[in-house]
Amino acid sequence: MNKTYQVPYGTKDILPGEMKIRRRIEDAIIRVFDMWGYDEVKTPDFEYAELFETAGKSGDFRFFDRCNHLLVLRNDMTAPIARLTATRLQGGEKVKRLCYLANLYRYEEIQEGRQCEFEQAGVEMLGASGAAADAEIIVLAAEAFRAAGLEDFSFSLGHVGFIGGLAEEAGFSDDQIVQIKECLRYYDAVKIQDIATSVNGIKPKIKQLFSEFLFLQGGIELLERVAKVVTSKKCLGALDNLKQIYELVKAYGTADFLRFDLGLNRSLDYYTGMLFEVYLPEMGFPAAGGGRYDKMMDKFGVRCPATGFAIGVERLILSLARQGNVVSSRNWDIFVAWQEGNLKKAIAAAANLREEGHSVKLAAEAMGQKEALEALDENGCATLFYV
Amino acid sequence: MENHITIALPKGKLFKTSVKLLGMAGYSAENVTEDSRKLVIVNDKTKVRFIIAKTVDLPTYVEYGAADIGIIGKDVLLEEKKDVVELLDLGFGRCRLMLAVPEHIQKHRLTDYAHLRVATKYPNCAKEYFNSLGIQTEIVKLNGSIELGPIVGLSELIVDIVETGRTLKENHLVEVDSIFTATARLIANRASFKLKFERLHKLTEDLREILNKGE
Repeated sequence: MNKTYQVPYGTKDILPGEMKIRRRIEDAIIRVFDMWGYDEVKTPDFEYAELFETAGKSGDFRFFDRCNHLLVLRNDMTAPIARLTATRLQGGEKVKRLCYLANLYRYEEIQEGRQCEFEQAGVEMLGASGAAADAEIIVLAAEAFRAAGLEDFSFSLGHVGFIGGLAEEAGFSDDQIVQIKECLRYYDAVKIQDIATSVNGIKPKIKQLFSEFLFLQGGIELLERVAKVVTSKKCLGALDNLKQIYELVKAYGTADFLRFDLGLNRSLDYYTGMLFEVYLPEMGFPAAGGGRYDKMMDKFGVRCPATGFAIGVERLILSLARQGNVVSSRNWDIFVAWQEGNLKKAIAAAANLREEGHSVKLAAEAMGQKEALEALDENGCATLFYV
Repeated sequence: MENHITIALPKGKLFKTSVKLLGMAGYSAENVTEDSRKLVIVNDKTKVRFIIAKTVDLPTYVEYGAADIGIIGKDVLLEEKKDVVELLDLGFGRCRLMLAVPEHIQKHRLTDYAHLRVATKYPNCAKEYFNSLGIQTEIVKLNGSIELGPIVGLSELIVDIVETGRTLKENHLVEVDSIFTATARLIANRASFKLKFERLHKLTEDLREILNKGE
């Protein structure tokens, strides 16, 4: 039989050494989430289509169950967590902190570190509306990267309120506001400039801000510079909120990894406040993203502010590998081999060694000592125990 | 190479002007020519690397961050739909994507061209255009010499780029509709745009100034 069986487009196998690295990283991230008081939860890989439609993203992999219900492989974890919280976790503590490690499914052209099936590690903090919650989320995301072994990362922080506020202040129509948000999402500075110059009656300074929208990036001084130009409550409120978050992040240690990016608009529609993306060197795509989504829970019948983020696990691993921080490893401590008739002795020896905390591979059949020594390497074991 | 800016240059008609413009903004290297044998040309003094790419591939290099920035026609961006930052309209390389038919089958209304075959190098743009008009057609993707399609009976219509319209005339084709006009754009990788923001911002503004002076 010569047929080579393939996996479907957008999926891949994870082989032994690679999986060991991944598990180590997943464990490190989940441990950080736990240290910060987040409860891990798991939701189904597929749900009724209406869930994702309610949240505004319909999902790409759809199928029917036996009763003809339309099911969807989840393409986002925020909606399932919102559903879970609204339907299963009412009562108890006012602020709920949840985390997850989950495979998601999106039919996209395959990108760097992003297949159709990919893994996210994320958290959602539900029930807290202040800057304190947003700062906690940001610092926790940074901590997760550090725990995975990455020190060099950059967070771009923006605010949905600023985008809407500036568009209103300029007097754009609703249609134009939608267009501008699209331009920001697709990073089209040329079209924004066209729109800004085509509309009359805007104050020159606001017009200038608009035409530079995607270039409104920088440190804390950027917020002060922009705050002198804008006048609307919404814009000033957003800038003030960002400043508060910045100050709180600093209180945790450092805010050096934070940059402001006032034109940042992520492709998910549900954000209502601050939002951010994380960039790693030598990686062309953002490795994590998140933000505040205070209206999502309304859709599930519960009024509840919320904030959270998700990390693309494959992208994080790819970046680690590029920086030479990942060594594919299949390592065990001891290989227990045995000559004919000594199997029971070998079993007892292996049991003892494991009890002492060593990882042990037991030979599956009898072999000579020389043969056993030669087998050490291909078995990935450091030392031989021969009986 | 983290401190270098990698620039992807498009082979073909946009190449010369691109090199000239970037040179005026202070981004140059020795021997940046289209027929360069070297795949990567580095200038360590100004910390710039150049790569020379086929036009259809150029947005991919930039999307993946293999190049931080690039210069490419808006027509290619509209066709390839890559996730890149569009920083600046460079104004040169103006061309038009249009629908043309052989003179002898020219019809009164656009909708009369329904259910025909269309040869094009731009299948996505063509599909979107016909969809927007509610016209069903059969798209035949070709990689060059699109005008040949109607002559040899491969298709009835063509959707193609024109600059002067001479090739159309020579092949007895008439333009029946213009789909869009495109110019060269300065594009950037999304992550590079954040991580190397100061340099990319300055380059964009310098180029904008050079273009404004030129006009």
